[in-house]
Amino acid sequence: MTTLENSVKFVDSASDFHKINSTETAVSIKDITVSFKGSKGTFTAIKDINLTIKKGEIVALIGHSGCGKSTLMNTISGMVTPSQGEVIANGNIVKGPGPDRGIVFQNYSLLPWLTVYKNIYEAVDSVFKEKTSIEKHELVEENLKMVNLIQHKDKLPGQLSGGMKQRVAIARAFAINPSILLLDEPFGALDALTKGSMHIELLKLWNLDNRNKTIVMVTHDIEEAIFLSDRVVVMNNGPEATIKKIVDINLPRPRNKKDIAHDPEYVRVHDELLNLLFDKFSIED
Amino acid sequence: MPKADSRKPKATKIMKKTFSNIAYFLGSMAILIGIWQLISIITKAEIPSPVSTWAVFKELMAEPFYDRGPNDKGIGNNLFSSIGRVFTGFALGSIIAIPMGMLMGSTKIGMSLLNPIVQILKPVSPLAWFPLGLLAFKDSGGATIFIIAITSLWPTVINTAFGVSSIPQDHKNVGKAFGFSTWKYLTKIVIPYSLPHIFTGLRLSIGIAWVVIVAGEMLSGGVGIGFFVWDSWNGLSLEKILVAILIIGGVGLLLDKGFNALQNLFSWEKA
Ligand SMILES: Nc1ncnc2c1ncn2[C@@H]1O[C@H](COP(=O)(O)OP(=O)(O)OP(=O)(O)O)[C@@H](O)[C@H]1O
Ligand SMILES: [Mg+2]
Repeated sequence: MTTLENSVKFVDSASDFHKINSTETAVSIKDITVSFKGSKGTFTAIKDINLTIKKGEIVALIGHSGCGKSTLMNTISGMVTPSQGEVIANGNIVKGPGPDRGIVFQNYSLLPWLTVYKNIYEAVDSVFKEKTSIEKHELVEENLKMVNLIQHKDKLPGQLSGGMKQRVAIARAFAINPSILLLDEPFGALDALTKGSMHIELLKLWNLDNRNKTIVMVTHDIEEAIFLSDRVVVMNNGPEATIKKIVDINLPRPRNKKDIAHDPEYVRVHDELLNLLFDKFSIED
Repeated sequence: MPKADSRKPKATKIMKKTFSNIAYFLGSMAILIGIWQLISIITKAEIPSPVSTWAVFKELMAEPFYDRGPNDKGIGNNLFSSIGRVFTGFALGSIIAIPMGMLMGSTKIGMSLLNPIVQILKPVSPLAWFPLGLLAFKDSGGATIFIIAITSLWPTVINTAFGVSSIPQDHKNVGKAFGFSTWKYLTKIVIPYSLPHIFTGLRLSIGIAWVVIVAGEMLSGGVGIGFFVWDSWNGLSLEKILVAILIIGGVGLLLDKGFNALQNLFSWEKA
C-alpha cells in the first residue's frame, strides 16, 4: 500500500495545478457519422459527432455497452473510415492508422504465436526503424518492467491471464511513444490494485512528457474517468448515438485517490455522471 | 506439490492411451490378415496367402538394393527412387501452391480470378496429364514428376487460401495499427496464422502425390515402386505385387504421420 501512495506523491510532486494552456488542437472530430453496411441494410452506430481535444488533454469516453465508443475511438485511430465527416489528428486528416496514435484495443489484439516480448518488439521494430536493435531491446524491456511483466516476457499470450494480456497491450502502445494515446477500456480486466498502479503509470508517462501527450480513453468506471481525465464525454445510447454531454472535471492536479473522494466537486461530478448514465432513475422520482 | 500430483496421472494416462492405440492397431492388422487369408482360401490360392507373401517379402528384403541392369533392381532401389520423385514433384507443386493460395486468400481479385482455374484443373486425372508431360519434357521421368506436381498441389492451394482468408480482423488490426511493412505483415501475421492450414494442405497433397506415383510409374517404366508392380504383373508374381501394395500402404502411412507431426510442431497454441 505504501508504495502505491508514495508513487502517487512521486508522480505529482513536481506539478502544480494542471491547466491546459496549450491552444493547440490534438484531435478534432468534425461531424462524424459511421454507418456499417450489413445484409439487412445499413446500421448507423454514431451520428454527427463533433469533439475537439486539446493537446495534453485527458478525455474519457463513457456510455452504455454498444453505444459506439469503440467505433468513435476507431475513427480517431484510423481503423474505421467514417461515412461522413473527418478526423484531424496532429494537424493531418486521418486516412488510416499511424504511429502518432498508439492504440490499446479493447480485446488486447496480441499475436498468439509471438511471446510477450516479441509482441512488443515487433511493434517497436516497425515504428522505430532507425533505432539499433539494442535500443529497441531496451525500450521493450523498459516497458515490460513498467507493466510488471518482465518475468513473463517469454510466455505466449495464451498462457497469460486477461489482465496480463491487457498490460502487454498497454506496454506495446506506450513503447512506441505516440503523441496521442487511444485506450479502449485499457484497465477493464484488471483488479483494483493493479488498476490503481496502472493509473499511476499512465499519469507518470503523461507527466514525464510534460503533459504533452493527449490521452483518449474509453471506460465504464466513473471513478477512473474522474480521477484521470480533464473532461468526460458521455454518449447517448445507439443507434445513431450522439454526445449527450461533456462534463468538465475541475479537480486540481495532482489528484490523490484518497483525498479527492471527499472533495465536494468530486461528489458533484460523480453524481452528475451517474445521473447522465442512468437517467431513468432520476426521471422516475 | 500440486504440480507433481497433476503430472503423474497425466503420464500414466498417456501411457495407457498409447498402449490401447497399439493394441487397436494390432487388432486392425489381424482383421486385415484374416480377410486376406479368407480370400486366399476362397480363390484357392490364386490370390497368394499372407504366409506365402511373407516368404516372398523376406526374399525381397534379403537383398533390397541389388542392381542388375535397367529393368532389374531391388525393391529398395525402386522404393527410394519413387520417394525421391514424389518429393521432387511435391516440392515443385508446393512452391507454386503456397504463393498461389496466399494470393487467393489475401485478395478478392486473386480469389475470383484463380478459383475457377483451381476448380477446373483439380478433378483432372493424373493419367490425362501424362501425355502433356511427355510432350513438354520429352522424358518419362520428367513427365512423372510433372503429373505429381500438378495433381498434388490443389489441396495446398485450397487450404492455404482458406487459412489466409480467415485471418481474424484483430490480427490484421495489429499490423495496421503499428504500421507493419508488407514483409513483416507476411512473416509475423499471415504465415504464422495460416501455417497450420498450410500443413493440412501439404499433408493431403503428399498423400495424393503418393497415390499418383504408382500410376505414373506404371506408365513411365524404368525404376520405381509403380514399375515394380507392373513388372511383377508381367512376371506373374502376385506375391510381389502384394508385398509392393503393403509397402506402398506403409510408406503412405508414415508420410501422413510425418506431416501430421510437422503440423503439430508448427501450430501455435490457440488462446
Ligand atoms: N464492424 C462492424 N460491423 C457492423 N456493426 C458494427 C461493427 N462494429 C460495431 N458495430 C455496431 O456498432 C455499435 C457500436 O459498437 P461499439 O463497439 O462501438 O460499441 P461500444 O460502445 O464500444 O461497446 P462496448 O462498451 O460494449 O465495448 C454496436 O451496435 C455494434 O453492433
Ligand atoms: Mg467498445
